[in-house]
Amino acid sequence: MTSLARLTPIFSATFAIAYVIIEQNNLALFTYHPRINEWGWLMEPSRNGPGMYWYGWLASSALVAAAASLMSVPLLRNRNVPSIMGWVVPLICMVLFVYLLRAFFFR
Amino acid sequence: MIVFLLILHGLCAVALLGAITHQTFAAWWPARSAAGFTAHFRAVQGAKFTNAIVILFIITFILGAWIYPPYRLNGRTYLETMRMWTVNGSFELKEQFLAIGLGMLPFYWYVWKQSFDDTLALARKMTSALICFAVWFGFIAGHVVNNVRGIQ
Repeated sequence: MTSLARLTPIFSATFAIAYVIIEQNNLALFTYHPRINEWGWLMEPSRNGPGMYWYGWLASSALVAAAASLMSVPLLRNRNVPSIMGWVVPLICMVLFVYLLRAFFFR
Repeated sequence: MIVFLLILHGLCAVALLGAITHQTFAAWWPARSAAGFTAHFRAVQGAKFTNAIVILFIITFILGAWIYPPYRLNGRTYLETMRMWTVNGSFELKEQFLAIGLGMLPFYWYVWKQSFDDTLALARKMTSALICFAVWFGFIAGHVVNNVRGIQ
């Protein structure tokens, strides 16, 4: 496994975990205001219409996952990363979202 | 323009659905021969679909992100006003599932590029199945939302 390829299960797992935490705490890197077509840094309250945070959540999660993957490089020297991590963690996070969003389906 | 992009998004999603479903069936239920329709459907070399699936996923995702603001302004507001919580929640789940799917793409690409490594067989099956599920769920949820309130 090349060093970059060895990071893919870590990226996959940390992206999923980061996304759940970032979405739940609204830690968007930026906010889009579609009504007035304006962007703002971090989470901003609505300006003349709803704010959109999803793009910011994706960017925040990608940054966290990339940073975590790069920081794990020294720790992974001569060690194998279990490939199970690359799909079990995203699977758990998907199930977790079903639970977190259950209020939509049980009103 | 938005309607054109929405149709393009749907067409890319259909192509992605076909490719990922073929690959998932081939991984989970490989055919020994190509006799009959179902066996023929599964008798594909899953690894050959990998690059196409990654590219189609990214294109479909970008198109979906592009047409998201009109949905947020018109579609979701309508769903909230009409108290259609199940439809609204399905779209919320769609965006979360596909975001997680996007984060899985590098790992998915890697495990399918090592298609002769038996130690990654389970990872290949599971990554394909998860992305297949996310794409099917997203397609159906998006279709239902568009039927309820199309974007303009």
